[in-house]
Amino acid sequence: MSDSGAGERPGTSPGVSYPSGERPATLREAAAARSAPVRVPRTGPDAVIPVGDVVPGDHLCLIYDSDAERYAVLAAYLRDGLAARHRVLYLADEDDPDAVLARLSAAVAASGVPGTARLDLRAAADAGDLVIRPIVDAFLATGGFDPDAGAATLAAEIDRARAQGYAGTRITGETSFSLRGWPGGDRLADLERQGRPGRAPRFRAIALCQYDRRWFPPDRLRALASCHDGRVRVDDLYDDGVLRITPMFTPYGLRLAGAIDESTLPPLRDEIRRAAGRAGHFCLDLSDLEFCDLAGLRLLAGTGTGGPGRQVLLRGIPDYLELMMRIGGWDVTPGPPRQGAPR
Amino acid sequence: MKAARPLGGASADPSPGMMAAPVHTAHEGGTLVHRALLYRSPEQFTTVAGRFLQDGVTSGDATVAIVSPAVAEMLRERLGDGAGPVEFVDAGSWYTAPVQAMAKYYERTARDWWPQGRLRVLTEPVWDGRSELEVREWLRHEAVVSRALAATPTTMMCAYDAVRLPSGIVAAAARAHPELADADTVRPSPRHADPALFYAECNAHPLDPPPLSAARRAFAAGELPMLRTFLNAEAARLDLPEEQMLPFVLAVNEVATVIIREGGGYGAVWVWSHDGELVCDITDPGGRLPDHFLGHLPPAPHQTAEATFWAVRRLCHIVEIRSGEGPDGGVGFRGVDAGTRVRVHMLLR
Repeated sequence: MSDSGAGERPGTSPGVSYPSGERPATLREAAAARSAPVRVPRTGPDAVIPVGDVVPGDHLCLIYDSDAERYAVLAAYLRDGLAARHRVLYLADEDDPDAVLARLSAAVAASGVPGTARLDLRAAADAGDLVIRPIVDAFLATGGFDPDAGAATLAAEIDRARAQGYAGTRITGETSFSLRGWPGGDRLADLERQGRPGRAPRFRAIALCQYDRRWFPPDRLRALASCHDGRVRVDDLYDDGVLRITPMFTPYGLRLAGAIDESTLPPLRDEIRRAAGRAGHFCLDLSDLEFCDLAGLRLLAGTGTGGPGRQVLLRGIPDYLELMMRIGGWDVTPGPPRQGAPR
Repeated sequence: MKAARPLGGASADPSPGMMAAPVHTAHEGGTLVHRALLYRSPEQFTTVAGRFLQDGVTSGDATVAIVSPAVAEMLRERLGDGAGPVEFVDAGSWYTAPVQAMAKYYERTARDWWPQGRLRVLTEPVWDGRSELEVREWLRHEAVVSRALAATPTTMMCAYDAVRLPSGIVAAAARAHPELADADTVRPSPRHADPALFYAECNAHPLDPPPLSAARRAFAAGELPMLRTFLNAEAARLDLPEEQMLPFVLAVNEVATVIIREGGGYGAVWVWSHDGELVCDITDPGGRLPDHFLGHLPPAPHQTAEATFWAVRRLCHIVEIRSGEGPDGGVGFRGVDAGTRVRVHMLLR
């Protein structure tokens, strides 16, 4: 991760316009730029940032519905942080750092995120690159929660990492403690607000606040989320500007956006094979699929024949795909069960 | 089955197996009787056609007449109470495009007609207002019927007005049908051509080159997103109806994909409009694409080119394929012998 400011984001294509004087090198690049899926806004509470695209200065929330989703994001966050020589500070709800490390190591190893299977978190912890601090010690040592003291604690950690020669600091914290009746626990938002850009310019750190959607009341979660630069999401598995493949966790599967054609079929076949190999039940969300050729349709229809005990659900099938299925004769043959478009 | 053939005509051997692709139906095992009725007067038509339908009703066949409403009225009058079991289908809505008509045969035969036993169908194809291309493709359709329904329990009699129709159509009908019927007799057609040969003859007609005004775009691997953008823009410029945009883009994209994957690897498209149609050529300078009923017969699993053109033909009004020198005798277009040219026609109205 470079030291570029929060306004520039490597890896996010700007869309149709090219910087003046700069023409696409190949037809393919031009095509990719033209058909690039619409990106969500880069900043603001509605922004949704792939975890691999976070940059120093970002203060983002990770709102998750399942541990699979949570650890897929955290695994990439840890992987990128350690690779960039950032110190990673993990604020844990549990009291025992060793137990947290063991839980985190196991979950990251099982996440399936590229480059994390052999990530040695214990070695990182021994070297001081990964610091696990119980929240009860970092924020609640006085018996209650004080947002200003919390902010000071984090500032001290950031300064310490810089003094020790780290290239940056990545903070991630669990937040469920705020629901447990500690005095001042309802003032979590006051800490979150201090992380907003402009309020604390010397915080060139990255902060990722973990919110379990199953525990937070919706209105409170909305209010807390609005204190952030946006939400973080899992990285895309594939994105060449024509087709984007993103993991889904509830239900487990893949979300496809863009076009399946001659050039994007092979990577899609690989990703479906990889994802479908990890679980029996499997969902393909097609609501943002703008184009799909016959071979792509054959691949999608064929995912249901992977073996016994596997259920494949095609969700959000666009109208034109129904037309293709009729023409191809797939509407009369047993294929994967389908679910109407959610929109 | 003998009772179903009252005039005792010779049983023509259905097309010899030139094609590898099997026709997949639940009703294999029958024998197609495909007969042209070249009538010289309305009275002769109603007599022969009426008897044909009456025999079907008597034999308990699924009996169908695909004719104009006026002809249907004439036949109902002729048959009287006997017309009850006959299903009359409006020829205008049936004969929209050759491949559409074939699709309807595939659907109705399997679902409605063969389950009753033998199908006996009287047809009178529509020739009024047909372009030269459409006439050629509707004649080709007779060869496709002979091939596609060869091994099915079907007796089909196709009526041609031998007095009023251009002599070329009547002569071609005599070549396309194994049997000819007139007032009293059914006899083998002396000039009958094997469906595969008849089909190849249709492909011998050369395609005119695209006009100079046609918009052109090259394509190769990885460039189909831009090709689709181009196709959408050209189709919009030429006022292709909105509901035809997607079928058009899907069809051309599929042909280009075949060229990239299985043909020469790259090619070009030309788009223009002509006589109420949007026309699009997709060319492969290097690859061969033999067209022996390509895309006309239901594809078997793993026949990818067949499956592609099965879909492409259904997405378009008419699709023409010309490929290099070969047994089908086709050429790319005048003056060009190598490579493949696929021309798709979409109706602009």
